[in-house]
Amino acid sequence: MTRNLVVIGAGMASGRALEHLTDTAPDDWSITLFNAEPRGNYNRIMLSPVLSGEKSYAEIVTHDDGWYEERGIACRFGEKVQRIDRDRKVVVGEHGEVPYDKLILATGSSPFIIPCPGHDLPGVIAYRDLDDTNAMIEASGMQGAKAVVIGGGLLGLEAAAGLRLRGMEVTVLHLAGHLMERQLDEAAGYLLQKDLESRGITVRTGASTKEIVGEDRVEAVRLEDGTELPADLVVMAVGIRPAVQLAKESGLATGKGIHVDDAMITSDEDILAVGECIEHRGAIFGLVAPLYDQAKVAAQTLIGEAAEFRQKQLSTKLKVTGVDLFSAGDFADGEGREDIVYRDPARGVYKRLVIEDDRLIGAVMYGDTADGNWFFGLIKDGEDVSEMRETLIFGPAYQGGGATADPLAAVAALPADAEICGCNGVCKGRIVEAIEGGATSLADVKATTKASASCGTCTGLVEQVLAATLGDDFAMPTAQPICGCTELTHEDVRRLIKARELKSQPAVWQELGWSTPNGCHVCRPAVNFYLLADWPLEYADDPQSRFVNERKHANIQKDGTFSVVPRMWGGITTPQELRAIADAAEKYDVPTVKVTGGQRIDLLGVKGEDLPKIWGDLNAAGLVSGHAYSKGLRTVKTCVGTDHCRFGTQDSTGLGVKLEKRLWGSWTPHKVKMAVSGCPRNCAEATCKDVGIVCVDSGFEIGVGGAAGMDVKEVEPLVKVATEDEAIEWTVAFVQLYREHGKYLDRPYKWLAKVGLPWVQETLGDAETRAALVARFDLSQSVYQKDPWAEHATPEAERTFAPLADLTLEAAE
Amino acid sequence: MDAAVQTKTFVEVSEVWVPEGDTLRLSGGDYGPMRAFEEASRRTSFARGEGLPGRAWAEGKPIVLKGFDGSYFKRTEAAKAAGLTSAVAIPVFAGKSLKAVLVTLCADDDTCTGAIEVWTEAEGLLMLDDGYYGAAKHFEWVSQHTHFPKGQGLPGGVWASGTPTLMRDLGSGYRFIRADSAGKAGLTTGLGLPVPRPGGETCVLTLLSARGTPIARRFEIWDARAAKVGSRGGAVLIDGLCEREGPLWTDDTQEEPRRVAAWQGAIGRVLGSGVPLAEPATQAAGHGYASLVALPIFRGDEMAFVVAWYC
Repeated sequence: MTRNLVVIGAGMASGRALEHLTDTAPDDWSITLFNAEPRGNYNRIMLSPVLSGEKSYAEIVTHDDGWYEERGIACRFGEKVQRIDRDRKVVVGEHGEVPYDKLILATGSSPFIIPCPGHDLPGVIAYRDLDDTNAMIEASGMQGAKAVVIGGGLLGLEAAAGLRLRGMEVTVLHLAGHLMERQLDEAAGYLLQKDLESRGITVRTGASTKEIVGEDRVEAVRLEDGTELPADLVVMAVGIRPAVQLAKESGLATGKGIHVDDAMITSDEDILAVGECIEHRGAIFGLVAPLYDQAKVAAQTLIGEAAEFRQKQLSTKLKVTGVDLFSAGDFADGEGREDIVYRDPARGVYKRLVIEDDRLIGAVMYGDTADGNWFFGLIKDGEDVSEMRETLIFGPAYQGGGATADPLAAVAALPADAEICGCNGVCKGRIVEAIEGGATSLADVKATTKASASCGTCTGLVEQVLAATLGDDFAMPTAQPICGCTELTHEDVRRLIKARELKSQPAVWQELGWSTPNGCHVCRPAVNFYLLADWPLEYADDPQSRFVNERKHANIQKDGTFSVVPRMWGGITTPQELRAIADAAEKYDVPTVKVTGGQRIDLLGVKGEDLPKIWGDLNAAGLVSGHAYSKGLRTVKTCVGTDHCRFGTQDSTGLGVKLEKRLWGSWTPHKVKMAVSGCPRNCAEATCKDVGIVCVDSGFEIGVGGAAGMDVKEVEPLVKVATEDEAIEWTVAFVQLYREHGKYLDRPYKWLAKVGLPWVQETLGDAETRAALVARFDLSQSVYQKDPWAEHATPEAERTFAPLADLTLEAAE
Repeated sequence: MDAAVQTKTFVEVSEVWVPEGDTLRLSGGDYGPMRAFEEASRRTSFARGEGLPGRAWAEGKPIVLKGFDGSYFKRTEAAKAAGLTSAVAIPVFAGKSLKAVLVTLCADDDTCTGAIEVWTEAEGLLMLDDGYYGAAKHFEWVSQHTHFPKGQGLPGGVWASGTPTLMRDLGSGYRFIRADSAGKAGLTTGLGLPVPRPGGETCVLTLLSARGTPIARRFEIWDARAAKVGSRGGAVLIDGLCEREGPLWTDDTQEEPRRVAAWQGAIGRVLGSGVPLAEPATQAAGHGYASLVALPIFRGDEMAFVVAWYC
C-alpha cells in the first residue's frame, strides 16, 4: 500500500534522501515536497562558483522539473509551511493541507546575523541561497562598488573571492587572529591571507564590527576601533543556526537543532529530520558529507531497514580558483601531541601533521594538497603511523621503502638540472661544476654561482650538495641555528626579516621555512623582538612570545611571588614617593624591602594576585614600572654631580634623568644598564655599564660595552662629545644600532665583540646615519614607551593575574 | 545545454610549430578543407623572429596579427586564397625554453563574432596588448578602454590565480560595461589562460566564444600540478563545458574528477610531450567533434595545466 511522505525543504540532504528512497522503493510512497524557495534541489556548495561566474546556475541544478515528474513527486515550491498538526498528521501549507504517514523535516539553517545597529539596512545580506547570490551579482554590477564581507570563514572567503572577480573592491573582516581559524592553523591562515591579498582583497583580522552605517541603505561599516569602511554591500557570513522554529512550534524536542536519534527519528516516531536543521548527539552540521550520510540513514529507516548515523571526521576545502588548501581532524596544540611540519617557501607550500599516540589526528595543508585524501584516510582509520613516522609528511609515494628520507641521499639523487637556488635560478649541476672547479665552502659556491646569495633559504641544500660532492673533504659550518626549528642563525633571521620585509610571526615561520608550526620557547622570544624592533608600526608585540617575567611585568621569585620595582629617574626620589612605597609595602604585606644596586627600591614577595592593585596604588603616587624584569633599559645610575659634589664637572644627575626618560620602555636584545658619573672619580661606576658616561671639564666621555655580571669588563671609549645634547644623541643612536643589529640575549659587550667597536664608531660617526637611528628609535618609542602598570592596573587585568594555569599556549620560558 | 548545432566557427585553422635547433617546423595542425594552405605551411619554416610564429618566439608573448598584406606574415598569398585574414600566435615556454608555437587563423567576415585577446601588465594593471574580435567591433572598442586590477574580471582573475579559468554567462553582470557589451555581442563563454613569458612575467590570453560562431563547443581544463595530482602524475579535469554533455566538472564531494595519465589519449600526449596538439579529431578523442586543440601551460619548467578546446 502506498503511504504518504511529506518532505519539508528541498535542500541537498532531503534531495539525497529522496534519491535513495525513490531508487530503492519507487512505488511505496506518495511524496509531497515543500520548499520555501521557488525552486527544487540544487548543489548549494557550488553557489560560490556561480557567484564568481565560473559556473552557471543551470550547471548546479541537481534535480530539475523532469526528475521530480519522473518520480511522481508533488512539488509545492515557493510555498511556506505554516504548521504541522501532529494529532491529525497533516502539514499545513500556505495553499492547503497535505496528510502524511511519515514526515521528513529538512528545514536547513538560517544565517546568523550580528545584531549590531544597521544590520537590517537594505544592502546587508546573508549568503545562503541562490537569491542571495543573485543579489550579490546585482550589487557587483555598479562601477566602483565596494563590498565588506563580515566573516573570514569558508563561506565569507568564497563570497569575497567571487565578488572580487565580479569587479568589486572587497574587504574581509574577521574577528579572530587569522582566517578560517576553525579549519586552519595560523601558518596556513597566513598563506591564505597572503593569497587573497594578492588578488586585491583587503583582509582585516581581529576586526570587530560595531555598527553598520547608512540612511536608506548601507553606506559603511564601523569597527570597534573607530575605523569606518565605505560599503555598498555588506555580506554577513559569520555562521549558521539550525532552522528549528517549525519543529519547535510543533512540539518536537529541540535544542541547538531538532533532536534526532541514530535512525534520524525525532521525538515523534513518524517524523524524521535530516540536514543542517538537526542536532545529533550534541552536534550540529554544516558540511555536506554528514548530510548525505544522514539522508541515506533516513531513507533506510523509512523503508524499514536498520541503519545508524555515525559522526565521522570531516575535511575542508575552499572553492577559490588557484587556492589549494586542505584540513582535517584536530590540529590544536596539546600535551602529548607531536607536529611534523614541511614548508617550501618558494612554492608557498605548508604542510603540518599532528600525531598523538602514534596516530595521525590532524592535517593542515596549503599549496600542495595532493596527498590530502590519503592523510584523511589515515585520520579516519586511526592507523598506527609509527613505522612511517620519518617519511609520513612526504605522502604515500614515500612509504614502503621505495624512497629515502635521508636528506643527503635525496640531494645526491637529484638530477643535475634540479633547481637548488630559486632566487638566482642555480641548478645542482652548476653548483657541482663550481665544486669541481675548486669551490670547497658555501662562500666559494656563493661567490661563483650566486646560489644562496639572496634569500638564503637554500643554504642547507647547497651545503648538502657540497657534502654529497666533496664527501669527507667538506666540513659542515659550525654556525649555530637559533634552535631546532630552523637551520638559520640569529643573524640570518635578522637579515631576512629586513630584506624580505617579513612583518608577522607566521610570515617568518613560512617564508623562512620553519620546521615547527609556530616556533618554540627558544626562537619565539627572539623573533618577537626582531619583528618589533624592525617593524614597530606594523608588528604588534606578542606577549605569549615573552619570558614569564615580561608577561607578568614583574620578576618571579623562587617561592612564586613577585618583586615590584618602581622607576626612580636617575636614582632621584621624593618623600611622597617613599611614603607611597612604604604604604604599599605595608598594605600588601611585602616581607622584604630592599635598596638595589641600580639606585631604586625593590619590594620583594608580592603575591601575583596583588600585582595590579599594588601597581595601581604606586601609579596613583606618580610611580611607574622600573622594568626591572625586561630586556630593555633598566636604570641610569648617577652620582650627584655639580649640584652637590665639589668635584662634579657636569650635571650628571640631570643627564641621567634625561637619558632614562628618553630611553625607558624600549625593548632591546638584552637588558641595558647605564650610568652617568659627574667626574673621573666615577662614583656611579659608569665604566662597567652597557653605556657609561663620565663627565669631564671639556664634556662627556661615552664608553660602551662594559659589564659587571658573570663577565666583568670595562667600557670601551665610543666617543667624546662637548654637549649634553650630543651625549644624549650618541647614546640613543648607539642603543638603536644595538636594537637593530644585536642578537637576542647578547648584551652590548657581546654584540660589540662580534661587530667590532670601529664599525660602530664609523656608523655612528656619520651625522646623517646617527640622526636616522635616533628618528627610528623615537618612532619605536611612540609605540612602546608606555607604563605597563597603568595598562594592567584594572579590574579586568586583575582576573588575568589570578592564580590560574594558562592552558592556551606553552609559556615562552 | 543546447544540442550541438553545426554552425560556422570563429577559428578556421590551428597549427603547431616546434623548434628544431634555430628553426620552427610544422608539427601538426587542423586545416579543415584548406588543403592548399596546409601544403604551403608544410613547405614553410621560420627562424626566430621570422614570420608570425618566429615573432611570437622572439617576443616571448602571444602576437595578434589582424591583416596579412604588407606584414611580416610569410604565407600571405596562400592565406588569402583560403580566405584567412588574421591570426594569433601563442608561444609555449617551459621556463626559458620554447616548446612550441600554437597559431590560430581566422576568416574575417561580418558574421564571425568572438574574441582572442592578449592582456599584459603595465603599472600594476592588466591592459589590452592586442586582440582579434571579428565582427564584435563595439566590444573591441570597449576592451581597448578597459583595464583590470589583480583579481578582477576574467583577465584579472587568471592573472592573480595563475590558473586557467572558464567563465560562464559573460553578458551578465561581470565587469560592468564590458559585460554589457559582451552580452550585446553574443559572447557567452570565456576561457582565460596564463601565458608565462621566458622572463618570468605572465600575460593572459582570453578566448571569448559566441554562441553563433563559437571558438569551441567543448572546453576542458586539466590540472597537472604535482601539488594537485601528487606522485601518481597525470592530470585531473577541474572544469569543462560541452554543448553535448553539459558540465564536465565534478563536485568532488560526490565523485572523483576524471583523470588521465601521460600518453593516455590526446590530453595524455600533451602531458607526455609538453607540446600542444592541434589536429582533426577521431570520434573518441574528439568527443564527437571534428577537431581539437590542446595547449599545455607551464609554471617554470613544470607543466601545470592542459587546456583543450574542441570544435
